[in-house]
Amino acid sequence: MADIAVAGTPGRRGAYGSISRDRRWAMRWSYFFLALFAIFFLMPPFYMLITSLKSSAEISAAQNPWWVFGPTLENYVALLGKNEFLIFFRNSALVSICVVTITMLISVTAAFALARMKFWGSATLATGVFLTYLIPDTLLFIPLFKMFAFVRDTTGIELMNHWWTLIIIYPTLTVPFATWIMIGYFASIPKELDEAALIDGASWMQTLTKIFIPVALPGIIAATIFSFTVSWAQFLYPMAFTTSTNELVLPVGIVTTLIKGDVFNWGQIMTGALLGAAPPLIIYAFLMDYYIAGLTAGATKG
Amino acid sequence: MADIAAPNAAVLAGDRRTGLHKLMQRKSTIAFLMALPLILLIGILVLYPACYAIWLAMLNKSMTKFVGLGNFQFLFKRDTFWDVVFQSCLFAITAVIFKAIIGFVVAHFVHNIPSKGQRKWRGMLLVPWVIPPAMSTLAWLWLFDPAYSAFNWILAHFGIGPVPWLGETGWARFSVILVNIWAGAPFFMIMYLAALKSVPEQLYEAAAIDGAAWWQRIWYVTLPMMRNIIAITALFSLIVTFANFDIVRVLTNGGPLTSTQLFGTWGFKLGIESGDIPLGSCVVLFMVPILAVAASVILRDINKRGSEV
Amino acid sequence: MGFKKVSRRRFVGGTAALSSVMVAAPFVRGAYAAGKLSVGFWDHWVPGANGATEKLVKEWAEKEKVEVQIDFITSNGNKLLLTTAAESQAKSGHDILAINTWLPARYAEQLVPVDDLMTQLIKDNGKVNDTVEYLGKINGKWVAVPATVGSQIKGPCSRIDLLKKHANIDIQAMYPAGSPPKADDWNLDLFMKAAEACHKGGNPFGIGLGTTSDNVDSIGAFFHAFGAVLVDAKGEIVLKNDQVRQALDFYKKLMQFLPPDVAAWDDASNNKFLVSGQGAMIMNPPSAWAVAKRDAPKVAEQCWTHGFPVGPKGRFAPFLPYFWSIWNFSKNQSAAKSLLMYLSSASAAEQMTNASGGYDLPSFEKLTTFKVWAEAEPPKGTLYHYPNPYNHQTLSVAAAPAPHKIAEQIYNQGIQTQMAVRYFKGEPLEKTLDWASNEIEGFMRN
Repeated sequence: MADIAVAGTPGRRGAYGSISRDRRWAMRWSYFFLALFAIFFLMPPFYMLITSLKSSAEISAAQNPWWVFGPTLENYVALLGKNEFLIFFRNSALVSICVVTITMLISVTAAFALARMKFWGSATLATGVFLTYLIPDTLLFIPLFKMFAFVRDTTGIELMNHWWTLIIIYPTLTVPFATWIMIGYFASIPKELDEAALIDGASWMQTLTKIFIPVALPGIIAATIFSFTVSWAQFLYPMAFTTSTNELVLPVGIVTTLIKGDVFNWGQIMTGALLGAAPPLIIYAFLMDYYIAGLTAGATKG
Repeated sequence: MADIAAPNAAVLAGDRRTGLHKLMQRKSTIAFLMALPLILLIGILVLYPACYAIWLAMLNKSMTKFVGLGNFQFLFKRDTFWDVVFQSCLFAITAVIFKAIIGFVVAHFVHNIPSKGQRKWRGMLLVPWVIPPAMSTLAWLWLFDPAYSAFNWILAHFGIGPVPWLGETGWARFSVILVNIWAGAPFFMIMYLAALKSVPEQLYEAAAIDGAAWWQRIWYVTLPMMRNIIAITALFSLIVTFANFDIVRVLTNGGPLTSTQLFGTWGFKLGIESGDIPLGSCVVLFMVPILAVAASVILRDINKRGSEV
Repeated sequence: MGFKKVSRRRFVGGTAALSSVMVAAPFVRGAYAAGKLSVGFWDHWVPGANGATEKLVKEWAEKEKVEVQIDFITSNGNKLLLTTAAESQAKSGHDILAINTWLPARYAEQLVPVDDLMTQLIKDNGKVNDTVEYLGKINGKWVAVPATVGSQIKGPCSRIDLLKKHANIDIQAMYPAGSPPKADDWNLDLFMKAAEACHKGGNPFGIGLGTTSDNVDSIGAFFHAFGAVLVDAKGEIVLKNDQVRQALDFYKKLMQFLPPDVAAWDDASNNKFLVSGQGAMIMNPPSAWAVAKRDAPKVAEQCWTHGFPVGPKGRFAPFLPYFWSIWNFSKNQSAAKSLLMYLSSASAAEQMTNASGGYDLPSFEKLTTFKVWAEAEPPKGTLYHYPNPYNHQTLSVAAAPAPHKIAEQIYNQGIQTQMAVRYFKGEPLEKTLDWASNEIEGFMRN
């Protein structure tokens, strides 16, 4: 079952039958509707791009909003010239990289233990991991304030308003899903592989690093991309836990420094939003197949 | 495949019973240690604060007195609370249904075209899912803007008067749901596409030989084969949609009146903006039992998956 | 360590300041004034307006040999509110934090009383208005110092040309630059007629009815003009009275002449409406005009900020003060007080007001006649009446005089705007009142 379900297997349709007239019409309709949906799905990012190329005066002028009459890069120059923006970018990058590393360390070992080395309560734990998704972040952030206060009072370590606090918090969002993906991948690896290794005298750790990780590499890449996307996009926690301009990450930084309730600066907001969306989009453009494999891995193994 | 390997292993196990026993001893300890970071992470940063939140929900407004379920009693008497319950359900259910339908339809179209072009289309159609929601919702906010709406500019050419996208209850709910569908439908599309590819071609051929129309093929072949994935995806999406915060927060902030408030946003409004943390926690907590029902269904599925392993 | 340096960057600014801090560090004097101080100010939305605050704090820091870190925190998306709540819960954060309107009352128990500062400041700069006192003096104690930065009157800002064209009103003659207003005719009837005429002419008034502060402030001032009180000072719900009914009738009529989506407006909507050239009047401090000056100069040339129309119970304008407060967990309270004193001097206030292009409005009586308001242009004198120089209107806040905890909720939930919208949408008046009464009962929790 698992083999059939692996995502990204090229469709086997083309091989069958002669292309009848019906089929050709069905195809044309498919293209037509796909184009419609593509317009719907791509319109907001497209509009972001258009707006980012306009000057403030053009944005407030009453004319065709779907066209750029006087394209300008001034928004990009202004934004990339801002020290703060580069700091947001650096914070986002550092946080995401660290979170991805931590996530993979925790979830790969845990997934291996849960999928391959059953222990007392391991089945419960496997379901428990998934259940954490039921607890919304809107519920957790206030208790976390209190916990931060406790940590400060007992150890003197201040967790509020530091970007690195996010490195501690974000894994709660990435680890469960990454573990889930990895359990799925490890479970699909034939049992005799690790048994053979163990009999040859390899330790469990060696079995994991020498055999499982190489074999499950596509799954690991998928989980990595997934964790990166999630930590790059997180909004509520950084909004709650960081305040100072030099501690903010990109999404919150853009929303808080560029949007000023009364004064709107849509050219720069859209530029910022586009630049903020760029890293996941670029990674996705290059590693799309892994990303898709990762998304679908959990479900199609059912 | 695992079955073939099993007898061998059993023989080997018989040979070295004592060694294996020790190994087993060590194995569970090692396994526990390997899972320990995960257990600690979830225990300290999810379970403990979740329990803390339950305790907070049972305090009075100034958090000086324990009031038990008093806050819930209070909430149940408020009309706004029931509005929020209704809206959350409306929002989550409508959005998930449409995401599922659009995802299903689009997946079919992608599956229909020659596999050479599929990658390109799949790539384009998945873009909304990749953009951080806080960023893409800003673009929508700008598209809906009352004074500069680019949609209304187009509609004006067809003689359709300015639509108050976020200004009237009906439209605002529509807009919020629309943005959610936009952001979430690609996820369904990609899941269904993977599922479609796993439906054996022979089944369709058999159906074609029986003279089944296209809708019969979908109804009798595709849907039953995909049932599992449709269920998991829908339930997964339901959880995420119920707990949604960013989209409503950025687009309407719950307005007009309170007609687009959801559990998350209203809890935030009460807890942070109005300084009533226990009541806010109560509202958010209310999501958990609803989600737990959804979860129990997912759980059955996961357990099934577990036993297959 | 590398990051730490960057994180001080905002404070340090230029290299000159950097070197002086380095030099100053070894000579830190006394245990009190010295040390560290972190300050969270409201992030001004007039471009460049943060500069004056930054400069003043730097001056003070150099004089007192205190290392200061400044954060400018936006109020957008309620970030500042969230920060305040977070710091109050975590009992850590900035020493000084800018908080607005109802927050001094909400956090009164966690704030350091500043009666000593206020006594001196009132002596120096004149009295403060009743609204500031209602909001900042809790149980007889001042818990925060009214800030220049961010405090504002949200009076009408009208288009001279459109009011003339559609409603035949010469707003400049009513509110002449440089002399007292001649606005006795500027009452609610005339206001309604003008709203109707402008709506008919295709340039409606842009008065929002969402639940954000601009919207709530406007309706609050109109309710005061009718004497419509929802909850009295003793905390009794008294909203079933004729004044409230009159005010709602007024709004129901007014809303016919407003754009169709006003119920969803936020604080930026009215600005956009004015700048886009569609609106004939909005209720806002001069930020909309400032944006128009940048993006739509032709619109800006026609803007005129003036007073509210007079109602049966008087002429009220919404005043929204920001406060500077000191958390009681601050480890350097004396330095914090010294800084607040420094920032509240007349000259500091004037520098801040100038930097904000006249947006910021000190709460003290003697500080409402700075040159910047008389000189702002185009058109010349457009902001002359913004600071209420002749005490022509009573400065007020929506939901007053209810006890703070109730008033805050009425304000934050936008009960008044919600009532107006419900009634406008066809709900029977008494039902709307019942709904409001029920909602407000829910605010009595403690």
